[in-house]
Amino acid sequence: MSIITVSVSRFSPETDNAPHPESYTIQVPAGCTVLTVLETIRDTIDPSLSFRHCCRSAQCGSCAVRVNGDPALACEKQAADGDVIEPLNLPVIRDLVCDVSPVIKRFGSLTPDACGCRSITDAELDKIKPLRECIECLSCVSACPAVGGYAGPAIFAKEARISFDPRNTEDRIPIAVEKGLFSCTTCRKCVEVCPKHINIPGKAIEKLREKAVAAGFGLPAHATLADLIEKTGHSVSGKDTFLETAEEVYEPAEGTPFKGTVGFFVGCMFNARVQQPASDTVFVLTRNGYRVIIPKTQVCCGSPLIRTGFTKIIPELQKKNIAAFAGIDTVITVCAGCGSTLKNDYTTPFTVYDITEFLIKEGFEIPGTASGTYTYHDPCHLLRGQGIGNEPREILTSFTGSFIDLKAQCCGAGGGVRSGKPGEAEEIGKRRAEMIKNTGADTVVTVCPFCEYHIHQTTGLPVVNIVSLMADGYRRKDKLKKRG
Amino acid sequence: MPDNTNISHYHVLVIGSGGAGIRAALEAVKYGTVCIISKTITGKGGCTVMAEGGINGAVNPADSCCSHFEDTTKGGAYLNDEELVRILTDEAPDRIQELVQWGACFEVTKDCTLAQRPFGGQKFPRTCYAGDHTGHEIVMTLLEQLRASNAEIRDETYAVELIKAGDTVCGAVLLDAAGNLSAVTADAVVLATGGAGQLYPVTTNSTAGTGDGYALAYRAGAELIDMEEVQFHPTGAVKPADSRGRLITEAVRGEGGVLKNTAGERFMKTYDAARMELSTRDVVARAIATEVASGRGTKDGGVYLDVSHLPAETIESRLPLMLSQFLKSGIDIRHEAMEVAPTAHHFMGGVRITPDAESSLPGLFAAGETAGGVHGGNRLGGNALAETQVFGKRAGAAAGKMPANNTAEVKTAAESALKKAAGRISAFFSGTARPAAVKAELQQIMWNNAGIYRNELDLRRAEREIKRLSGLRLHASSKEEIPVAVTVENMLLTASLVVSGALLRRESRGSHTRTDIQVPWTNETSPFGHTWFAREKAGIEIREDRFQ
Repeated sequence: MSIITVSVSRFSPETDNAPHPESYTIQVPAGCTVLTVLETIRDTIDPSLSFRHCCRSAQCGSCAVRVNGDPALACEKQAADGDVIEPLNLPVIRDLVCDVSPVIKRFGSLTPDACGCRSITDAELDKIKPLRECIECLSCVSACPAVGGYAGPAIFAKEARISFDPRNTEDRIPIAVEKGLFSCTTCRKCVEVCPKHINIPGKAIEKLREKAVAAGFGLPAHATLADLIEKTGHSVSGKDTFLETAEEVYEPAEGTPFKGTVGFFVGCMFNARVQQPASDTVFVLTRNGYRVIIPKTQVCCGSPLIRTGFTKIIPELQKKNIAAFAGIDTVITVCAGCGSTLKNDYTTPFTVYDITEFLIKEGFEIPGTASGTYTYHDPCHLLRGQGIGNEPREILTSFTGSFIDLKAQCCGAGGGVRSGKPGEAEEIGKRRAEMIKNTGADTVVTVCPFCEYHIHQTTGLPVVNIVSLMADGYRRKDKLKKRG
Repeated sequence: MPDNTNISHYHVLVIGSGGAGIRAALEAVKYGTVCIISKTITGKGGCTVMAEGGINGAVNPADSCCSHFEDTTKGGAYLNDEELVRILTDEAPDRIQELVQWGACFEVTKDCTLAQRPFGGQKFPRTCYAGDHTGHEIVMTLLEQLRASNAEIRDETYAVELIKAGDTVCGAVLLDAAGNLSAVTADAVVLATGGAGQLYPVTTNSTAGTGDGYALAYRAGAELIDMEEVQFHPTGAVKPADSRGRLITEAVRGEGGVLKNTAGERFMKTYDAARMELSTRDVVARAIATEVASGRGTKDGGVYLDVSHLPAETIESRLPLMLSQFLKSGIDIRHEAMEVAPTAHHFMGGVRITPDAESSLPGLFAAGETAGGVHGGNRLGGNALAETQVFGKRAGAAAGKMPANNTAEVKTAAESALKKAAGRISAFFSGTARPAAVKAELQQIMWNNAGIYRNELDLRRAEREIKRLSGLRLHASSKEEIPVAVTVENMLLTASLVVSGALLRRESRGSHTRTDIQVPWTNETSPFGHTWFAREKAGIEIREDRFQ
């Protein structure tokens, strides 16, 4: 047994204006679940404590609450001293009980055929099964940052499951579009909090968008982008792009021991819109002893197309990129979106690394100290798309004078929302901007050109790619050396 | 005081939203208005959603309903109502097919026919399944259809008491989450509130399995049968402490899992050498209890269930839930054995029903675990889900066909029932005994005295203790505690019926084992029929032709 103190959010509609935290110290078995903690409080301290629970084995989805900010099933989550237990981010009825009915009412239903003669194959089942594991706990709905009437991740898991079932007779695509299909930023927060780890953006949203595009529901801005990629191979056009002007091979910096050869996947944004981070990437890699190869035939990774449902030319793009990097074992990205796409949507003969992942794995020279106060914004496609969160922090704390950590949250730029539904991207961005401003940092660091651009717009603060900050550090170090 | 505004009328009222309740509502709504209430969020409360292994039905041409019938009655120690078993086994294939039509994602074979796995006590692998979350699959399928139907769905609403006009059941007094009373009158009422595993501290049941349907039916005067027949599932989790009793699906043994004691012996060879781990649940549960009692169990009172000899991919695809649940407590079942012990699982007894699922009271129907008679003395794995669908549909249809009964007499009955319920509830505020404490004490009494092995002495002790607890006046300190108090009263009543049946049945039969009685007969030649309970009386049916 152990004695722990937890904070539980209490709210009584008869007496309280707003929920307030209440602290409880109880004796519970070591390693017990949050549900056992709540039951202990109810049975030994306050029988009026209200919370939902039922199956006690993560199968009914009744007991989802927020533990230290993030949703979890109380019957599954291990409790710890100091835990803060709050209701899901839905209208609260009493204590930890919130109103789930408006969400539940939006779940769709399969419309069966009258004769029951449609059957389903093993292969068709395989597409549906992962989505079918949803226990409707609404953790994802609680944590989802999307706006614009977006019905919620779980709603789309169900919509996709129905749409892909050959036994269903109703066209669900118009309904999915009406429920906000194009409002998801594909940030994958839902996957992170889902007790069943259902990949809703990948297996539901993107697949439904593909069907929606085929049915003529694609957004005009996304269609324009798809046309551009089809014509030029890149999602951003411009004169004197990085790929046009850069050398094909950069040797390691003079005086540095040779450590290996890497390919650099530039990405459309750094190729045409802001080229400095691309040059800085070459600088950082050569400085650390790498020969950098930049194949000129590389094209858009396809991320903007896969996220928005315009997938027609994806196989072609995949083929071109794999051919462009033929003979190279290691490919580096500095764009979270490109990295996530190459890792998750391709089968590559080479290994793809995000720059931060690569530098931490292989070691790097510490740049000169960056004065000022920095914070780091996790690009969703780096943190959840690639599982990389510690590496950039480790790099940053190695040379920034002052670093303030910040909890991850989508900035609103991804999933085609910024181009397709700019108002919604702005609304999500404003919430993120507030969190960023509250850190008091004067510069935001990230590893994604879309986040960089969007956060700069919503905060007005300087936002830099981590490679540029490192490159500056090296240059400063050299200057000091020269002087010194 | 209650007035007319909180009484509403529906053609059919369904109480409970597990597999049987939702299936009944879906059928009844074809005949008129339906209100389905459940004390949880609809679909989350029953044990169907937690059922893992599968649903039985002779869907393969190589199998037959006759064979399913024989397995079910043999497994049930020939205590089953044969007519109900006939209906179960004849109609299960159609109900399974219907679920498939509605979108259920059961596993299929390469040629698109339903895949089936072997379960205990069955001559043919006839258990259709969706991984190890078949019940979840069924509830999701049913919920989709329910949400698309015209049935009114009321979440988190308790049924406090059935309403009767004369002998006819015509509605229920309801209590909502905010502590407000109301009444629904109906031309027919379907009880589908599941079982009462919560009478025991170690159970596979959800916290909703508190015997509400048994208590509601009994208090209304309906007849119940075989309440002593409580199935202990052989394989419940042992660790961690707050998962004790959680179901380890029979599919683990169906897929080839073996049971071993601490000496490493496959002890089932001593108890049922022919069927080994796939013997019926009553036999396997007693075997494990005996091994543990003889000192061949683990220090936490379990034995080992091992699948580590199976290919990892079999475990990953057929038992994904088991794999992930154990991984959470640091055990990788691909490489190490699980620790298991028996856990209270299923009530074979319940409301006595006709083939149309009608109780002994006009207007009252029961389906699923709330009804008795289908499974006799022991239920086969996979038959509970089949029962929910077969008898859920039958109850819904029969209730739907009841004539309109929205008379002034019914309304008066509702008003007086509301008044009575209000009195009962306000009495809780002046009570003294904490419901949570009474519940915990009751569970311990039942575990120690009315568990797997029973004898007269223990049962008499349980009888006395339950009587003492029932004499306490339960206390509600707030409105939130009222449903708890109501539920504990239901549990006390149900427990008293279990003990009463266990005393009446002076033989070992199915899941009911009396260590103090030896009998000369077999299950097939037993002179005893059902135990029965109604209006403060109880008895056991005697088959005169067999008594020697």
